[in-house]
Amino acid sequence: MVEYNKVTDEVVKKLTNICGEKYVTTSEPLRHSYMARGIMGLEAVVPEVIVRPASAEEVSKILIVANENLSPVTPAAGGLSGGFALPAIEPGGIYMDMTRMDKMEVDTENRVMVVEPGVRSGDAWRIFKTKYPDWAPPIPDGAPPAATVLGDAIERGFSLVTGVYGPQADMIMGMQIVLPTGEIFHTGSWALPGAKPFYRWGVGPNPDGLFLGSQGSMGIITKCAIKMVPHPHYKTVVAYGGESWDDIVKPAWEISRHELGIAERTVMVQGGNYELVMTRWPKENVPIDYDFYKKIGVDKKWMNYECWAWSQEELDETLKGIDKIYKDYEVREKRSTPKQELHPKQVASRLKKPNKIAVPYSLWQAGFLFITWYCPWLESSKMMEEYCAAMADHGFPETMWVASIDHARQAIVMPILCFDWTEPGIMDKIREFNLETTKSFLKKGWLNYRPDPFVHAPQTFSQAKEYYKMLVKFRKVLDPNLILHPGRLAIPWESVTDLPNPTKE
Amino acid sequence: MTSLEDLRRINARCIHCRACQYAYSGEPDREGRDEEYTGMLQGCPAGIYFGWEGYFNSGKQWMARAFLNNELPASQELLEVAEACTTCGMCETQCPNYIDTVHVTEELRAAVIEAGVEPLPKHAKFRDMVHNEDMRNPYNEARSDRTKWAQEKYAENIDKDVKIGYFVGCTGAYRQQHVADKTASILKKLGVDFTIISDEVCCGSPILRTGQKAVFKEVMEKNLETFKDFDLLLFSCAGCYKTIRNDYPRVSGKPLPFKTRHTVEYVYDLLKEGKLKINKPYNKKVTWHDPCHSIRHVGIAIEKDILEKSHNWLLDSRAAEKAKEEHYEIPRVVLKAIPGLELIEMYRIKGDSFCCGAGGGVKAQFPDMALSTAKERLREAASTGADILMTSCPFCITNFNDGIKALKKEEEETGKDLSGVGSKLKVVELLEVLDELL
Repeated sequence: MVEYNKVTDEVVKKLTNICGEKYVTTSEPLRHSYMARGIMGLEAVVPEVIVRPASAEEVSKILIVANENLSPVTPAAGGLSGGFALPAIEPGGIYMDMTRMDKMEVDTENRVMVVEPGVRSGDAWRIFKTKYPDWAPPIPDGAPPAATVLGDAIERGFSLVTGVYGPQADMIMGMQIVLPTGEIFHTGSWALPGAKPFYRWGVGPNPDGLFLGSQGSMGIITKCAIKMVPHPHYKTVVAYGGESWDDIVKPAWEISRHELGIAERTVMVQGGNYELVMTRWPKENVPIDYDFYKKIGVDKKWMNYECWAWSQEELDETLKGIDKIYKDYEVREKRSTPKQELHPKQVASRLKKPNKIAVPYSLWQAGFLFITWYCPWLESSKMMEEYCAAMADHGFPETMWVASIDHARQAIVMPILCFDWTEPGIMDKIREFNLETTKSFLKKGWLNYRPDPFVHAPQTFSQAKEYYKMLVKFRKVLDPNLILHPGRLAIPWESVTDLPNPTKE
Repeated sequence: MTSLEDLRRINARCIHCRACQYAYSGEPDREGRDEEYTGMLQGCPAGIYFGWEGYFNSGKQWMARAFLNNELPASQELLEVAEACTTCGMCETQCPNYIDTVHVTEELRAAVIEAGVEPLPKHAKFRDMVHNEDMRNPYNEARSDRTKWAQEKYAENIDKDVKIGYFVGCTGAYRQQHVADKTASILKKLGVDFTIISDEVCCGSPILRTGQKAVFKEVMEKNLETFKDFDLLLFSCAGCYKTIRNDYPRVSGKPLPFKTRHTVEYVYDLLKEGKLKINKPYNKKVTWHDPCHSIRHVGIAIEKDILEKSHNWLLDSRAAEKAKEEHYEIPRVVLKAIPGLELIEMYRIKGDSFCCGAGGGVKAQFPDMALSTAKERLREAASTGADILMTSCPFCITNFNDGIKALKKEEEETGKDLSGVGSKLKVVELLEVLDELL
């Protein structure tokens, strides 16, 4: 572990000289106002100073100051990764609020948009709606309007067309990165001064992968060129129910593998169980018996298909194709997978982007946590079964969500852990649950999407030893003083696990 | 009496999603008139003005949580951030977790003050005046002059032994007497047998909003005692109406012994019942500003009252939302009943209406923020092409007029034409128009 220094008055003065007095604060209440514990991470430490840079040049200068003082730096804009958009270890250091960098350029000819970190989904959607109605910005689906386009992309998140285009990071065409030592460089064709971001791989080799999913621990991404997607306006959502996870997973696989066919127009495939509906309401103010949900037409489990097409004929053909696969599945497997009768308002609600669909799980008690795992699509049934059993064992409702990535090549499986923040010992209970499921899933070869530095990361890296050692080596090259938000790469190893630290072997 | 501690579990629902920073956070495809006013828009006056996360509700919720968990001490600095909020409730409308955001903010202010931090200077000043037995108003006026405005025209209505009271409020009694006069005149024309009570004291709104609960409790109890035998209280002030309607039962823990209605709502009731028809025309282009207190806060209270009694929010939330939306229609029904009036709506309206900038103690303590917020709303009003900015709240009217004054001054100083951002708008109180037309 690196011994970091506290942020001194002298450091604050230097930061003020860079960003201006208006954009630097050490106010204790304001520092606390950036806190978040939940959504994807429960651990967070209060930063010592907040800065709001306006440009990559300012970011670079801040990093140089941080290196001189050996202060940790955490960049964030939307901050919707909860605790993990904040420092996770003491001292909190410099928190870089990137929201002032909110410029967006759209190039419809090359079908690329360039965004700075502060461009939020709500704003991008509004601008596209009025200026570029035939295009859609690749915003995260299911994230609220304050989620940022760049944040979702560099975290390899979920976009509104993930079922076809894969994780949002797959749509990146180039990045502007400020390295921890202050150098600013571009990836892809952008590396050539004056070139457009038209070719992601550039002259090669391409280092993008080191920065994507690094939670800012390799460099600060200050600009990102990302593919826009066409936005045809014949759209709808259909849903099919089932009794078992296989009933929703297997037909979805059959539909999604129709690449260059109906799967291309099925941009989003996502499903879950009736608890996904139930736990959006306060525990004391909603029926908890399945009979009620059955009566209102909610199947025990279901899968939604969001389809976009250029004409009604195309849309009808796609829906017909989906329906045929379900009917064939019912006959072949002797199962019942009824098509749900969705009210137009339900369809409209599911088509709405961005939306607040993922937010209300705090109503069940008073807090929730998304834990996300990736696995091969057809293995997702098994993962969900095991997860639900573990949730029941630990006294959590069995709220489960699943979605296809890239034509059901992968599944993102996400239990939503609904809990009461005010309950004594709840953090320990969650950690115990997390540890138990993590150990089991890693044995099966499944990966956590956003490993937290306290449970998932040490468990994963103690098995993927060579990979971890290599990442740590890269990091030391890029960030010799290890000042950037340590995230999953600065695991406080000995304090969180008895497992051997691969870097010490 | 509620406290921040009572709201701990409500506050714990916040996941810092920041949806509360937007108007229409749930309506990304909302159609607007132009590129600027379409889809979701920033909606928090304090957040827009100051920029730091702590000035948005999303940051305040986490400051409150840190305070509750003894991670953040009470301090002048904390109070200053917490007080720089108009308590307009835009954030509360947006929250999918039904967090009582305004209560949390108000209770955070109160908890910081109760921990020994001095209230901000302007807030302490009007608390002292309201506390003063010889005043009981925040305008440094004599208590004995409270009904002075009515002594000539409405002498027979003062302290009359009837069951309907007109709660005038301090602004009507001491600053905007013409609004009180027009309201009393409307009530007379409508044949309402009402009284104006000389024992009325400040409703306590500015005191409660700024976290000074002890004095608030005093005036609340005084008013509840004074009006305990009434059947109905009518209001012309949106702030008094919201405070007595929503806050008195919550803070006292007892239901109100009387019904409450804003005069605009009373006119609406008569129109709906077919007992009133407005015949005189008002041939003007009007845009309507929803006062946060009488529209959004009352709408949210209606919705939450229904949910509080519900065992099944999944089924009842739609009915609750519908009831809230019906409340938002009230001024529109009244405006549409006026012949000749051409209503051109602004983009941010009803539950998503952008605040005038005056509420929550901001006008007194943070005048620059109040003015900047008023200008933002005036710009939106001007974008409709209307000549009249109509509303029904004394604070909105004052703040908008201050905004227009500032724009006119800027026009004089720079020679620029600022009519496109609202310098030529005329701010009109709906009650005054109703009195003219009835």
